[in-house]
Amino acid sequence: MTTRTVPTADDVRAVLDTVADPEMPPVTVAELGMVVDVRVADDGGRTRVEIDLVATFSGCPATAVIREDVTRAVAAMDGVDEVAVRFVTSVVWDPERITLPGRRKLQAFGIAPPGSGQTLVQIGSRTATGRPVGVVCPLCGSTDTTADSPFGPTPCRSSSYCNACRNPFEVIKP
Amino acid sequence: MTDPRVDLLLALGDDELVLGHRHAHWTGVAPHLEEDLAFSSIAQDEIGHAVVWYRLAGELTGKDPDALGLGRPPEGYRNAILVERPNRDWGYTVARHYCYDIAEDVRLTTLADSLWTPLAEATGALRREERYHLLHARLWLDRLAHGPLDARGHLADGLVAALAEAPGLFEPLPGEDELVADGVLPLASADQHTRWRDVVTAELTALGLEHVLDGSAHHSDGEFVPTSSGELLDTGDGAAAAGAVASGGGLGGRLGRHSEDFAEVWEELTGTYRAYPGVRW
Repeated sequence: MTTRTVPTADDVRAVLDTVADPEMPPVTVAELGMVVDVRVADDGGRTRVEIDLVATFSGCPATAVIREDVTRAVAAMDGVDEVAVRFVTSVVWDPERITLPGRRKLQAFGIAPPGSGQTLVQIGSRTATGRPVGVVCPLCGSTDTTADSPFGPTPCRSSSYCNACRNPFEVIKP
Repeated sequence: MTDPRVDLLLALGDDELVLGHRHAHWTGVAPHLEEDLAFSSIAQDEIGHAVVWYRLAGELTGKDPDALGLGRPPEGYRNAILVERPNRDWGYTVARHYCYDIAEDVRLTTLADSLWTPLAEATGALRREERYHLLHARLWLDRLAHGPLDARGHLADGLVAALAEAPGLFEPLPGEDELVADGVLPLASADQHTRWRDVVTAELTALGLEHVLDGSAHHSDGEFVPTSSGELLDTGDGAAAAGAVASGGGLGGRLGRHSEDFAEVWEELTGTYRAYPGVRW
């Protein structure tokens, strides 16, 4: 009788920590706090892995790619026969879910991670145009920064500008 | 007998899908780059929110979310007439954006208390994301209201037109009594309308725009408005004449009765899906 290796939920989580986010490749889906639950079911010799993810933003077009990437990575694990990935709404994603290593990588990538001082301000308002927002610039560390737009290249990012190093940069929305 | 929850979800999803589609018409042609980005981003959010509602409706009906969103005939859509109107100009775009996003805030706040758990849960992420839309709508309302005479005139015209059709957002749904009785819809559409009207009345009055609530683009006896530069502008005679005010409160959408403007949206929105039914992307 041959013994099968059945991966644990922690083994699956370790793999999820290697799946890159398609739009911010230095960080993984696990580091972004997208993993809600991992269940491994051994059904009469067939191992089925169920993964619940939460999207950073509901309208994020990358979720289809993330689902495929996660499915492919976990299906390649030894002893996995079936993978089911679903996006759940029972949890609300929040930037606070981003792990410390994830935050460091975002900063190195030029995106201000949560904890950089971002607040929900009326950016560009009539009375506060060009108002300093004090978000820490991920490129040079200055807090002499102004907000450009509450919107950015992906739904989870806004746009800012650093007056010290004169670079535009993105911020994970609060 | 159809599940009234499906009608509710289609109304929610169709409003988001159709307005998202109209917002996306600013992509590439907005007055400046930041607004191009803003409307493109808001459009993407709204269409993503439509998918959330279609997915829930799909769980009840066994239908694919794409088929629900893109595979119905025009009379099958349940969106309010307000959201199918063309963008017209910046004043109307801002006015409708404001009217709609306040309505959506009232609606999502209501649905957060739904006894149907999947519906209540779905509002969590949506409300978080909608904060940015509200911020954006109020910013532009404030900016145009305090802007030069021309901007204020366009805003007032836009508000008169949007407010005339805003009741359509609160048109009672088929089977609404059952939804309310079951606690799926914790507040009837009429009561949500009252909440919305209270917010909109207070905010427009604070901007000196209360006359638009009576359907008039300008004060009958003239109006002096302090602008950001501190000047006083007389808007009594100079304001542009009110746009055509729709009669009937923009009702009918929740029953699948649409305006002539819906044909254009439907053709464009469903074109690819009709050419390649069941296509995946």
